[in-house]
Amino acid sequence: MNALTSFILILVVTGLAFAGGEISSCRVLLDVVLPYAAMAAFLVGLVYRVLKWASSPVPFNIPTTCGQQKSLSWIKSSWIESAHTKLGVAVRMAIEILLFRSLFRNSRAQIRQEGPRLLYSENKWLWLGALAFHWSMLVIVLRHLRFFVEPVPRFILAMDAVDGFFQISAPQLLVTDVVIIVALLFLLQRRLTDPKVRYISLFSDYLALFLLLGIAISGVLMRYFFKVDLEAVKQLAIGLVTFSPIVPASIGALFFVHLTLVSFLLAYLPFSKLVHMGGIFLSPTRNLPNDSRMVRHVNPWNYPVKVHTYQEWEEEFHDKIKAAGLPLERE
Amino acid sequence: MVKISAERKRAIAQAWLEMTLCTYPSQSMQFMLDERDRFRNPVGHALKNGIPLLINEILDETDSERARQALEEIVRIRAVQNFSARDAVGFVFLLKRTLSQELPDDNKDRLELERRVDEMALTAFDFYSQCRAKISDIQVSEARRRVAQLQRIYSEAEGR
Amino acid sequence: MPGAPPKPEELVQISYDPPRADWRKTRFDFQKGTYCYSAAAKNLRYLDLPNPRDWQPYEADWKLPPNWKEIILKGMKERLEKFRSFRLFMDICVRCGACADKCHFFLGSADPKNMPVLRAELIRSVYRRYFTLAGRIFRGLAGARDLTEDVLKEWFYYFYQCTECRRCSVFCPFGIDTAEITIMVRELLNLVGVNTNWVLEPAANCFRTGNHLGIQPHTFKDSIDFAVDEIEEITGVRVEAPINKKGAEILFIVPSADYFAVPHYYTLLGYLMLFHEIGLDYTFSAYASEGGNFGFFSSHEMMKRLNAKIYAEAKRLGVKWILGGECGHMWRVIHQYMDTLNGPADFLEEPVSPITGTRFANARSTKMVHICEFTSDLIYNRKLKLDPSRNDHWKVTFHDSCNPARGMGLLEEPRYIIRNVANHFYEMPENTIREQTFCCGSGAGLGTDENIDMRLRGGLPRANAAKYVRDKYGVNLLTCICAIDKATLPTALEYWTPGVEVGGIHELVANALVMKGEKERITDVRGEPLQLGKEATVNA
Repeated sequence: MNALTSFILILVVTGLAFAGGEISSCRVLLDVVLPYAAMAAFLVGLVYRVLKWASSPVPFNIPTTCGQQKSLSWIKSSWIESAHTKLGVAVRMAIEILLFRSLFRNSRAQIRQEGPRLLYSENKWLWLGALAFHWSMLVIVLRHLRFFVEPVPRFILAMDAVDGFFQISAPQLLVTDVVIIVALLFLLQRRLTDPKVRYISLFSDYLALFLLLGIAISGVLMRYFFKVDLEAVKQLAIGLVTFSPIVPASIGALFFVHLTLVSFLLAYLPFSKLVHMGGIFLSPTRNLPNDSRMVRHVNPWNYPVKVHTYQEWEEEFHDKIKAAGLPLERE
Repeated sequence: MVKISAERKRAIAQAWLEMTLCTYPSQSMQFMLDERDRFRNPVGHALKNGIPLLINEILDETDSERARQALEEIVRIRAVQNFSARDAVGFVFLLKRTLSQELPDDNKDRLELERRVDEMALTAFDFYSQCRAKISDIQVSEARRRVAQLQRIYSEAEGR
Repeated sequence: MPGAPPKPEELVQISYDPPRADWRKTRFDFQKGTYCYSAAAKNLRYLDLPNPRDWQPYEADWKLPPNWKEIILKGMKERLEKFRSFRLFMDICVRCGACADKCHFFLGSADPKNMPVLRAELIRSVYRRYFTLAGRIFRGLAGARDLTEDVLKEWFYYFYQCTECRRCSVFCPFGIDTAEITIMVRELLNLVGVNTNWVLEPAANCFRTGNHLGIQPHTFKDSIDFAVDEIEEITGVRVEAPINKKGAEILFIVPSADYFAVPHYYTLLGYLMLFHEIGLDYTFSAYASEGGNFGFFSSHEMMKRLNAKIYAEAKRLGVKWILGGECGHMWRVIHQYMDTLNGPADFLEEPVSPITGTRFANARSTKMVHICEFTSDLIYNRKLKLDPSRNDHWKVTFHDSCNPARGMGLLEEPRYIIRNVANHFYEMPENTIREQTFCCGSGAGLGTDENIDMRLRGGLPRANAAKYVRDKYGVNLLTCICAIDKATLPTALEYWTPGVEVGGIHELVANALVMKGEKERITDVRGEPLQLGKEATVNA
């Protein structure tokens, strides 16, 4: 149900963009107003979100320790998984963000006995799928910089060369294009067919997947099948970033679909679970060092509480303490 | 001894396993079926490991200790899960359903096999009662320990 | 066969709910054996907590205050502003499902609401409804739902099925820690007087007498004296156990179960024998006679109120630093909270072992050292004479208690000790120990006998791994460094894995420690006859 509703929503948006691209009066709206509005929503929303998180303090030092603490000199401490230094934390975060360490933990290959056979275990699919998607996404976003800057930076050209490694088809087939779609389809498939995951999935989970798929597919269609006028696209893009937008005559309806969906994504992102990309940096179970007994962590709102003082305690049990022969403060 | 090919046996075991898993919430069922690590999936492992042994027991009357243990292990788990007594041991009868699909109604072994299933269900019920009794015992002994503790606290307190 | 009586198999109903079902619409009942009883009004009154009254979870009317909803929502807002963890964990979950099968309660019960992600969604859905724009506008479509009494009851049911063990947090790509969410929800429930007696009675006791069991100072002394007598009986050595001694070098804090419950008690014997043998200048305190902190299972504030005694007493007695016994959540509180809550402990000194001279630089701010750190340092510096053969009747495995493992990283010290005091040590499978350790199923205040079914479900994954080493190596002793483990694992193992006993690390130390002037030991500290005939291995 959730999956279906979100799919229909994306279809409707696509349809509107398609239709809008055909009507010339709509083009200004689609080409200029929408991207600016989306970008504004994205920036404002993201800043708001991060500031909101950051505005809540971190009262306690609560890293999840996944390895040996730093204690005695002769015990080897796990300087990344149970990092007690800033460097260790930085490395731990980097591995988490770049390689999805915790997800990988899921999948440590193990030999295990199952009846008479030995089996190697799997579970690495979620990790692989997630990693494939996120990295392709990053490469693709960077690649799009070529539309916004002139001349095209060298690293982008280099990246494309690597990406087009297989050198099949013209224009060259880019590996990331294939990977991102396969990865997204895998993640979608998993959400739909694994009963556990399906049970926890919300409308917004599907929406995010369909939206990204829509963007990827429209992009791929434009690159390989229904060619659009790249010069015009670049003109538009540079116009947008230099705040002197020009609406080019014709780019093709598919482009409007792509642009609309991207705008949708940008505007939607800060208000959805997709902000996890910003949140991970702030996660207190990962970004704090396991040094809570070495350095005092200060809680900004620490307040005095009602306690039962020694004096009150001694008063209450005075006779019993005395009878037991334990020392007293006041005889 | 009832002659059934190894392949049929596996099919019967699989059908019985799946029916038994259906007594669990559907969201968890697939996981219990798929996850192969016995430590990550103790319930699924007990079932997947135990059911083939139980099938052998029914078909070949092996009367093996391992089969008894397997049955006990399954019942021990189900005795603490969210099942009534009848649902906890009722999974044994699900085998009858599988057998009726596998063997024609006039099969001369059918009756005998169904008798053995009944037998196994009764054994399962024994185990179930033992488990629940054990749980009560444990509860009582925990409560007793607590009372004894309190008694000690008070008697020592009054000893003064 | 129409008209024929139904066959037995047809009587068996297969409950099969389709995967499409929306979890927000599935129901549950308070089934006997799966929940804890409510807190007695007197305990709430003693602790000045709101809404003391008589009620039980299985009753329809929970006698909530009329404005309970307002209280909860206000409490949520306040906590969202005070805890980044809470706000962040409400926002960033992507429902990838990596945590789903990591919870011992899910593995043991197969209840999908025991998947950590869904447990968190129970409150996230309410968060979205009242605290996010999308949730306020789109409601159900945005995964939001209204806060109703049924939702509150569901919170109570499922957040008292979380032992705050943090295993899910190890696998979460964002480090979302369900323990953190459980702590928040329990705080919220406390605001309207929804709490359990198993948590609040120990808390009230601890506030008044200094320890969870409500042991008063003279009884405390009797217990310790009793242990001293027993040590003399076993070893022939008379040890000293000072209490409330001013000017001692070290204040020693243990969970109260250590001096009043079995098998904890054998661990206490170990501490006393060890301290005597090395001539440690230390003192117990009858006022700070509890290391554990059931306040932690209720609210941050209650944790602070109970924890305050430790530093206060260290200051009053004028000790240099503090040593802490074997306990799980006690060490989570001490390692990650105490200094922040009740510090700075600038009246103490950086801990230095008076025997080896080792500086415990890792505790230089909190000034409290774990007994396993302390003892392993003694062994490493060859200060103890040990005869591991006196533990030969034990085939030992080690269960990493959740809090020392995932809230501290104390993994190697206990293992090092075991290897030096016992000859037969076998690890449980790799994915069930260290940071991946399975909880006992009774932590965080769930270990009461009315909750027995749920505890046994939660204890299954741990017991299952113990069974593996029992069958493979003949393991008959599961050691651990947590008072709740020692109290509840014997129960779980008795049901799942009979033949495996539970003990502490310092119980093994007690057996192996060769004391000056001791008589020949015929029994271990449990009174079980020893397997004799082997030479002592000398570690001095």
